Amino acid sequence: MSIAAINEQLLRAIGVGVALLDLETLRLRFYNDTFREWFGEIEVGQHMTDLFSGLDAEALKAGLSGEGRYATETSFRLRRRTMTVALSFNRALENDEAIAVLVCQNISRIKELESMIDSYSMMVERNTREIKREKEQVEKLLLNMMPRSVYEEYKTFGIVTPRLYDPVAVLCLDFIGFAGMVTAHDPGVIVSELNDIYTAFDRIGEQFGCARIRAVGDFYIAMAGMPDPTDDYAQSAASAAVRFIRYLKQRNETHPIQWTARVGIAAGPVVGSVVGVQKYIYDVFGGAVIHASRLRYFANPMCIVANRALTDQLDDRFVAHAEGKIELADEQPEEVFKIEAEVQASGGG
Amino acid sequence: MTKSLFEKYGGFSVVSKIVLDLYDRLLDDDEVGPFFDEVEMARIVDHQTKFVSSLMGGPASYTDDQISRMHARLTITNAHFDTLQGILLQTLLDHGVSEEDAAAIAAAFEARRTLVVE
Repeated sequence: MSIAAINEQLLRAIGVGVALLDLETLRLRFYNDTFREWFGEIEVGQHMTDLFSGLDAEALKAGLSGEGRYATETSFRLRRRTMTVALSFNRALENDEAIAVLVCQNISRIKELESMIDSYSMMVERNTREIKREKEQVEKLLLNMMPRSVYEEYKTFGIVTPRLYDPVAVLCLDFIGFAGMVTAHDPGVIVSELNDIYTAFDRIGEQFGCARIRAVGDFYIAMAGMPDPTDDYAQSAASAAVRFIRYLKQRNETHPIQWTARVGIAAGPVVGSVVGVQKYIYDVFGGAVIHASRLRYFANPMCIVANRALTDQLDDRFVAHAEGKIELADEQPEEVFKIEAEVQASGGG
Repeated sequence: MTKSLFEKYGGFSVVSKIVLDLYDRLLDDDEVGPFFDEVEMARIVDHQTKFVSSLMGGPASYTDDQISRMHARLTITNAHFDTLQGILLQTLLDHGVSEEDAAAIAAAFEARRTLVVE
């Protein structure tokens, strides 16, 4: 077999579509087997624009007469598959005749892969958005359970180091006759009322820097002066307490269910930490918590009772009346005080 | 957390090969291929990618309602469903998925039969 014959055989059998066309007329002069397989019933002499309906003949001519090449793509269905073929036209000279060589590469797989990557990346992006949303929800939930600085520590290290906060003010509040109220009213009504009241307390607490640590049933506990220490922790807790009582009094005037609270506030040290392994919860405990909790038992309805450590820190916006001595801890009677204040419509102590 | 089959078999880099192979086999099959006659390539590929990913526990999941709606206008018989199941199973095995896992995937596919068969 001659070299020319081998060349022709190779050209015919190669997996790339090859064709020659007349540069002047843009008509087909030769095509190999692969070309015919892809483009079906074709004949020598056929015009390029008949073969490829979307082909821009002017751009092709301009490209070939200028740079001597032109590249484009064409898509068509072969059986039920979408074929995409890259067409590359190159000017050539054959015995002084101007011809162009057309080389066709099957890039269907690349197009299919591109589609698959598009599809997959959209799925992944959607998932990422969902994960981000879930993460934000978890973060919101955890921030309800612990102060932000504690949460940041927990997120970074996976643990929270127990920390002593001294001094802080602890506010403990509960409602007189709560057990009776629970049985006397529909559970949904009680929960809705508590939601309403605690939401108001939280808002007041936020305003004065006295944040709720948690509420268990009718027992509401909030802290001032932690996690970031402040000088006016006692004012913060007392201001919040005075407004809790004022809010309840105003609320009782317009609501059928009457809520009567008593409040104990104490200044002193507490430990803050996440307690528990599986069901972890951020908790505070220590002398100030126990004292505040006990003090509330000595408070008359809608009154606030505090220890000396707290009242010593209050300024003249508050009035502290001595209420006698009680045993707060270690069987050592301590002086306790009833706190009152003139509450302005907004701001102030 | 247990690994999904999607992760177990190498994530997208492996699953992508299964998807393209399945795409070829489905289009070449004269029983189920005609369902894709008038469908754009990008849509078929998108569908197959999500289909395989969701069966293998990857980042896609179709609700039963979505599956029903997507196939509502197609006349799919039990024979069509069986053919596709057979092609799916063989493709998975040919890509190194163990018989046990391939059967689990085919079973997940089987569970959706009533959603698509007329």
